[in-house]
Amino acid sequence: MLQTLGLEYHYQQGKKIVFPEIELKRGQRLLISGFSGCGKTTLLSLIAGALKLQAGDIKFDHHEYSSMSSLLLDKFRADHVGYIFQTLNLIPFLSVSENIGLGIRFSQSRKSRVANLNQEINRLLESLGLEKEVLNTPVNRLSVGQQQRVAAARALLGKPDLILADEPTSALDSDTTNKFLNEVMETFDPSKQAIIMVSHDSSIAPYFDCVIDLNNHYA
Amino acid sequence: MHSLLLKSMRSRIIPTSLVTISLMASMVLLLSIERVQQATEEGFNQSISGVDAIIGPRSSSLELVLYTVFHIGRPTNNITTKTINDMKQRSDISWLVPIALGDSHRGFRVVATKPNYFDHIKYANNQSLAFSKGRGFADLSEAVLGSDVATTLNYSLGSQIQITHGSIESTGNKHDDFSFKVTGILNKTGTPIDQAIFLDLQGYELLHLGWKSGKKVFSLEDIALSSLPADALNPKTVTAAFVGLKSKLTLFNFSKNIREYPKEAISAVIPGIALSELWSIVGLVDKGFQLLSWIIIAISLIAMVTLIIASLDNRRQEMTIYRANGASPKFLAAMVIYESLVIGLVAIIGAVVLVTIVTYFATEQLNLTLGISPSFKWISLNEIKIFSIILFAGVLSSLIPAAMVFRKNLHQTLS
Repeated sequence: MLQTLGLEYHYQQGKKIVFPEIELKRGQRLLISGFSGCGKTTLLSLIAGALKLQAGDIKFDHHEYSSMSSLLLDKFRADHVGYIFQTLNLIPFLSVSENIGLGIRFSQSRKSRVANLNQEINRLLESLGLEKEVLNTPVNRLSVGQQQRVAAARALLGKPDLILADEPTSALDSDTTNKFLNEVMETFDPSKQAIIMVSHDSSIAPYFDCVIDLNNHYA
Repeated sequence: MHSLLLKSMRSRIIPTSLVTISLMASMVLLLSIERVQQATEEGFNQSISGVDAIIGPRSSSLELVLYTVFHIGRPTNNITTKTINDMKQRSDISWLVPIALGDSHRGFRVVATKPNYFDHIKYANNQSLAFSKGRGFADLSEAVLGSDVATTLNYSLGSQIQITHGSIESTGNKHDDFSFKVTGILNKTGTPIDQAIFLDLQGYELLHLGWKSGKKVFSLEDIALSSLPADALNPKTVTAAFVGLKSKLTLFNFSKNIREYPKEAISAVIPGIALSELWSIVGLVDKGFQLLSWIIIAISLIAMVTLIIASLDNRRQEMTIYRANGASPKFLAAMVIYESLVIGLVAIIGAVVLVTIVTYFATEQLNLTLGISPSFKWISLNEIKIFSIILFAGVLSSLIPAAMVFRKNLHQTLS
């Protein structure tokens, strides 16, 4: 499904990162670990098509990022990628269900996969271990764990092909981390979807099919 | 995009509404000035019609128009009846209506004239004066009221009124030895005529029989009207005379001729010219205000752009979340432009409502002080033009923050 070819990134400060080749099939769960500053977020942004490719290419099914305009990449991301941030995933002036609904707002194809939005939101919330009451809770009153689950629900809504998660558990304690990962892995559909998660925490490796350590790659 | 934008704006309601209010207030300022100016100009130009020239003592034409048409100020000089009679002999004159000013009744100016005043003096676009009740005066003890006088003082046909010497109630002495009977009330005209009381020149002369230099010397009560010589009630002087010419083509020749009248220093004023002269003075002040309010609008627009730019930093997370979910930088930039459009539109709607209220009271004030009541409207073509300019300027200036958002988000690490 996804293949990176000779990706490199030069930062303005002069730092240069050469990323390992990644190959990902549907149903696969990939953990990219490494200390902060090793380019994990940059790699995810490149795969999401938000950051301009400098060297190398990314192949997603039969699409080649290097031949796509930034507008096309935005549309591609809307259709195929669900994204979870480290923190501050939610827009404070929108309700929980509006925040989740953002996942399909910019994509017709993801929208068409959701027959009944409220029903699907309820299903995702339940599957991710959230009570229905969170729907009526203002976003800024949710706990961090709840916020990350709502963000996961948004990323999973409309079944995008690829879930990208940028340290989604770094603000969670280890119990909550385990619960969160369990629920996410259960909710995601291995027949259609794949996950790439980056984390500095290698203890979560058992949840994944393969692990790439950016630091080791460096060395 | 609507709901996202409106919710986003609502989350920043205080700064956003403050900026909207400042933009609205500056528009209110501009429009009020614009409207009052137009209304005043319209009222000015409609205040007299059908009169080709006003003959009066030689003074500034502005002064003459101000007191003969608007009943503002006081005549400095009179012209003699002899001169008026000479004028009547002229072959180019079709009609002549003399008037005498100076007295008042409870704050309303008294215009002493001849019964033919109501036939010849017109207003607005050549509209004749008409009586809503009764008829013109036929006797020296009869009076006709302008419509505002009748409604304000609650007078009707048959009411008896006494006239005060001079234009102010408190300082003037009352002509309390003679009263006039109201025989007619004029229709509303929206001109100073509404605030005037009309008497026969002879009645006016009679009032002043016993007076010398503004003081009563003897009372009319002691005199039998029938014992007066017939000539005694014909006034020796009048304030001015309205003139209609047989042909407007002779107008300039006529006024030149009048200026050269050898026996008395008089002049003829063409009302249209004097009014536009008056307007050019008032209008100049107005232009200054107008310029000032455009500057204020520009400042408000700068404030709006400043607010939007300042808010961008706080909205970084919001924007990044949209981006991560597939929004293009174009979408984000459009949101910024759209926001300025919403602010502009809300400000415009608010301004129209406010200005309508303001002009309503302003025209009332105008009516009270100048006696002119201009037509009242919601929005004019010119105002739509002004709004379009402001809206366009607002959107144009929002291109600055929009471009900033676009550039910043075009290639952005998602974090």
